[in-house]
Amino acid sequence: MNQNEFLGTVLPFKDKLYRLAKRILVSKDEAEDAVQEVYLKLWKGKGKIKNYKNPEAFAITMTKNYCLDRLKSKQANNLKIVHNTFQHSQSVEREVEANDGVTMVFKIMETLPEQQRIVLQLRDVEQFEFSEIAEMLDSNETAIRVNLSRARKTVREALLKKYNYGVS
Amino acid sequence: MELVNIEKLLEAYFEGQTSLEEEAALCAYFKSREVAPHLQAYTPLFKGLSAARQEVSQRKVELPHYRVAFWRYGIAATVAIGIGIAGFVFTQPKLTQEEREAIAAFEKTKEAMKFLSQNFNDGAEELAIINQFTITKNKILK
Repeated sequence: MNQNEFLGTVLPFKDKLYRLAKRILVSKDEAEDAVQEVYLKLWKGKGKIKNYKNPEAFAITMTKNYCLDRLKSKQANNLKIVHNTFQHSQSVEREVEANDGVTMVFKIMETLPEQQRIVLQLRDVEQFEFSEIAEMLDSNETAIRVNLSRARKTVREALLKKYNYGVS
Repeated sequence: MELVNIEKLLEAYFEGQTSLEEEAALCAYFKSREVAPHLQAYTPLFKGLSAARQEVSQRKVELPHYRVAFWRYGIAATVAIGIGIAGFVFTQPKLTQEEREAIAAFEKTKEAMKFLSQNFNDGAEELAIINQFTITKNKILK
C-alpha cells in the first residue's frame, strides 16, 4: 500500500478522530497531537489495515485508547491538578458570557466520566449505529445504551438546572 | 411533527432507546423556530451537538515519506564510494619486489653516471690550460 492509497483510506475520517480526541483530552493542541500520533501508528501498521473490515472503526478504537492513555499519564504526572484549576477559573468566566447555551453544553460534556463522554460523542455527534459503537469500544449494545442514557440524563439535569437558574 | 410525538421521542432519547432517524427528527425539531416553550431548555443541547459536528482538525497529518528513500540513497552512496575507491586502487601501477629493485638500481646508476660526467666535464675544462702551452711555445719558437 503506498502513501496515496493509505491516505485515501484513512484521511476521510480524520475530523472524526480529531473530535473524539478533543472530547477526551479537551485541549485542541493535544487533540491534534493525538491525531498525528494515531496516523503515524496506522501508517506503521498499514499492512494490517486491509485486514480490518472497517478501518474507520479500527482508527476510532485506536484514538480512544491513545487518548485514554494520554489522560492517564497526565494524571500520573499531576498535570491534571494544574489543568483543573486553570479550567475552573476560565469556566466561571465562560458561564457568564455563555448566553447561547451551546458553550454550556460543551462545558457540561467535559464534566462527564470519560466512557460516557466517548459514547455521547460517537452517538450524538458522529451518529454511529449502536452496533458500530459496540465494535469500536469492544462492548455490547445494551451496555452502550445504558452508558448513553446516563450521559444524556446528566447533561439534561445540568442543562435544566442552569436554564431554570437563568430564567428565574 | 406533533408535539406529543416530540415529547415521546425526547423521553425515549434520554432512555437511549431512539434510532438515528428519530434522533435526526428531534434535532430538526429543535433547530426549527417553533419549539414549544416548555421544551426550550433542550434547544442548546441539540444545537450544541450540531455545533460539535462542525469542528474540524486544522493541522495536516505528516507521514515520514522520506524514510524509505533515505536508506536507498545510503546504499547508492556506499556503492558509488566503493566503486571510486576500487577504481583508484586497481588503476595504480602494481610493482613487484624485483621491479622496484630494478628501478632503484636504475636511479642509482643514473646518479653515478651523472657524477661521472660531471667530473669528466671538470677534467675537460682543466685541459683548456694545455692550449696555453702551445700558444707560448709558438711565440718562442717562431
